[in-house]
Amino acid sequence: MIEHFTNDLIVDFVHGELEPAADARAHAHLLSCTTCTAEVDAERTLREFLRDAAVASEREMPSAIKAAIWEQIRTAKPGPLAALAALLRPVVAIPIAAVLLAGGYFATAATHHGSPTIAASYYLQAHAVQSSQGPLSERSSASRAAVADAYDGGYPATAAYGGAR
Amino acid sequence: MGAPRAPLEPPTPEQSAFLERAMSQYGKATYNFAFRLTNNEADARDLTQDAFIRVYRAWRSFEPGTSFLSWIYRIVTNLYRDELRRRKGRFYEEIPEDNAPQAFRGERPLATNPIDDYVDRQIGEPLSRALADLSPDQRQVVILADIEEYSYQEIAEIMGCSIGTVRSRLHRARALLRRLVERAQQQQQ
Repeated sequence: MIEHFTNDLIVDFVHGELEPAADARAHAHLLSCTTCTAEVDAERTLREFLRDAAVASEREMPSAIKAAIWEQIRTAKPGPLAALAALLRPVVAIPIAAVLLAGGYFATAATHHGSPTIAASYYLQAHAVQSSQGPLSERSSASRAAVADAYDGGYPATAAYGGAR
Repeated sequence: MGAPRAPLEPPTPEQSAFLERAMSQYGKATYNFAFRLTNNEADARDLTQDAFIRVYRAWRSFEPGTSFLSWIYRIVTNLYRDELRRRKGRFYEEIPEDNAPQAFRGERPLATNPIDDYVDRQIGEPLSRALADLSPDQRQVVILADIEEYSYQEIAEIMGCSIGTVRSRLHRARALLRRLVERAQQQQQ
């Protein structure tokens, strides 16, 4: 036979929180101990009164709370993240992306406008001239003259050099 | 409550339906839980409102199949704790005027059994006073264990503490409650 219940054990017993073995021992003890039975009954009565008092004082949620909640939601302004998310919606995002791309394109073109450009044909012509002037060149003097003539247009200095040959 | 409120996003239809259903089904329980914690009308209203706004914000994080009531009680508990910290443990206590308990409004007739009335006066009032005299943590654990009938494990999850803490708080609360009820009954006699 176990000793009388402690108050803590009574609380756990009444709340059904004892381990199965301890619970079985407690039940067995209560069969023969009027003192502990009275303590357990008092604890159960207190619990029942707590519950009854709670039920008796129960009240409906005031409708004003619900209205205030919806009002708070209705008048809410979107936060920065929501504003950003709204911008990323396809309906808005596609025109914005198109404008940005067009802007980017024109900005790039404007940056390069007026800068010196060298025609690709210049490199071809320069290469032909150097080849013809090399010591092992197989080009004829006639072709050298033709190349030199070709230079006369845009690059006087080089043309003069080629023309001297 | 006085806590700053972050901006809310416009609701989606699913979100609105979720909130509406939550308030219809659990509004009363949530409000009563808040009222028992705070012991006054104004704070219970604010606590309930803030809790449902949290539900609205975090509705996607609710896991279907789990207890909604446990979830919102956890929210209320956290809000209450934050507010207690903000107010340094003090909540006003007042007698509600515009939202009297149902017991006086129809479900239970005014002409009740005199024996029940006597029992209510002798035990109900001292019990309510004793409950109000407990610390917030003790009162919370008594409400969850004795009125809401949650297990120690469930209470630990709601309150965000260990089962051992729940057990020791309940033991202390029950011992104090017994003493307070006895004292209140002696004062009444």
